Amino acid sequence: MTPENLDLIAGWVSLVLTLLVFSYLLGDNVLYRLAVHVLVGVAAGYTVIVAAESVIKPWLDETLLAEANGRAEATLAALRVVGAVPFLVGALLLFKVSPRLAPVGNLGLVFVIGVGVAVAIAGAVAGTIVPLARAAGESVGEDTADGLVILVGVITTLIYFQFFAVARRGAVRRPRLLRGLSAIGQVFVTITLGALYAGAILTSLTIFSDVVRAQLEFILDRLGG
Amino acid sequence: MNNHRLLHFLSSLTVISVGVAMLVGLSSDWGTPAASFAAFVLRLVTVIAAVAVFVGVFNLLAVHLGRLARSERGWPYSLLALLTAAGVIALRILDRAEVWSGDLEGEQMSARAFEAVQVSLESALAGLLVFFLVYAAYRLMRRQVTIWSVLFTLAVLVALVGWIPLEETSALADARDWLVRVPVSAGARGILIGVGLGTVAAGVRVLTGQDRSIRG
Repeated sequence: MTPENLDLIAGWVSLVLTLLVFSYLLGDNVLYRLAVHVLVGVAAGYTVIVAAESVIKPWLDETLLAEANGRAEATLAALRVVGAVPFLVGALLLFKVSPRLAPVGNLGLVFVIGVGVAVAIAGAVAGTIVPLARAAGESVGEDTADGLVILVGVITTLIYFQFFAVARRGAVRRPRLLRGLSAIGQVFVTITLGALYAGAILTSLTIFSDVVRAQLEFILDRLGG
Repeated sequence: MNNHRLLHFLSSLTVISVGVAMLVGLSSDWGTPAASFAAFVLRLVTVIAAVAVFVGVFNLLAVHLGRLARSERGWPYSLLALLTAAGVIALRILDRAEVWSGDLEGEQMSARAFEAVQVSLESALAGLLVFFLVYAAYRLMRRQVTIWSVLFTLAVLVALVGWIPLEETSALADARDWLVRVPVSAGARGILIGVGLGTVAAGVRVLTGQDRSIRG
């Protein structure tokens, strides 16, 4: 067996799997389901490999399996205790299998949720709200007409997504001014989603043509000897 | 019942204290004890997430193993999923043990399998999407013609036709450029800021104990 033979086998495997996936254009069928289950199995296998090699093994090497290297006995013991914490919390997740013991399993989960919430808030404020609001404001200075359109678009889009309503004569409705601004916001949202949809079509078309080109090249190479 | 109330109380206490401590740490200057604490907890959570991934994958494989053991409908698919998962893990173990010799010495079979199988399947699935996206846009106009569906379709068409590299369509290319630079940029910023505000609102509700759904 040579690396060239491996390339050939990989090429055939790739061609067959691509055809299995494209068979879905004829409707849901056995071939497509085979391809999807291969994907599930392979993805599960790779997920385990990446989690083990990139996260768990380095952590074990630094904590539970750490060598003394001149460290004090107490430091080493503390390192090992800390190293065991994620595995204990992970073990708590197993309790969620039983409905009766699920609250015990939640203790591990809430720790992750607490950290996740803090990271989400910090990320949303520092990475999304402040920079985007600043960019919307600065766009007015760069090009007044377009900048104003952008500013109006950002504000009305936000108004479109808020639902303060008041009850008047038995009907719950948004105030007239908000309804008008919300309609302008809806125009911006619709155009944005349309452009994003076109982007998705272009991206998948590019991938489709690339896949077809690669497979045709492989077939033509084989036919050409 | 009392044990459950205690566990619920502990859950709320954990999420609030850990969340607030992390917020303080994340907003502190780099190198301060609070920031170091936040970095350490983040590392801890990364390992917990990896352990959770392990638990999830083994649960998935256990479900397929159960289907296989009970010979349920579709068990051959489960067998295939189990065999491919085991095959990938076995290839990686063999790679690390450096068992390949001769012309194949130093070869990373698991990386080759990744290219041949996972990359091929995901590319083909992403390519397949083009048919469904175009068909869905066509169905949108066939089912219901409203001002919003017309506006949506027009935006799709301008964005698509604007990409055609012909001199005759340069006006459309200009229109597409303006569309992307001004209204799409405004809409996208509005949506993202809205998502950010929603994230902050939901997060604050959890950290102030108003949202108790996390207790399970």
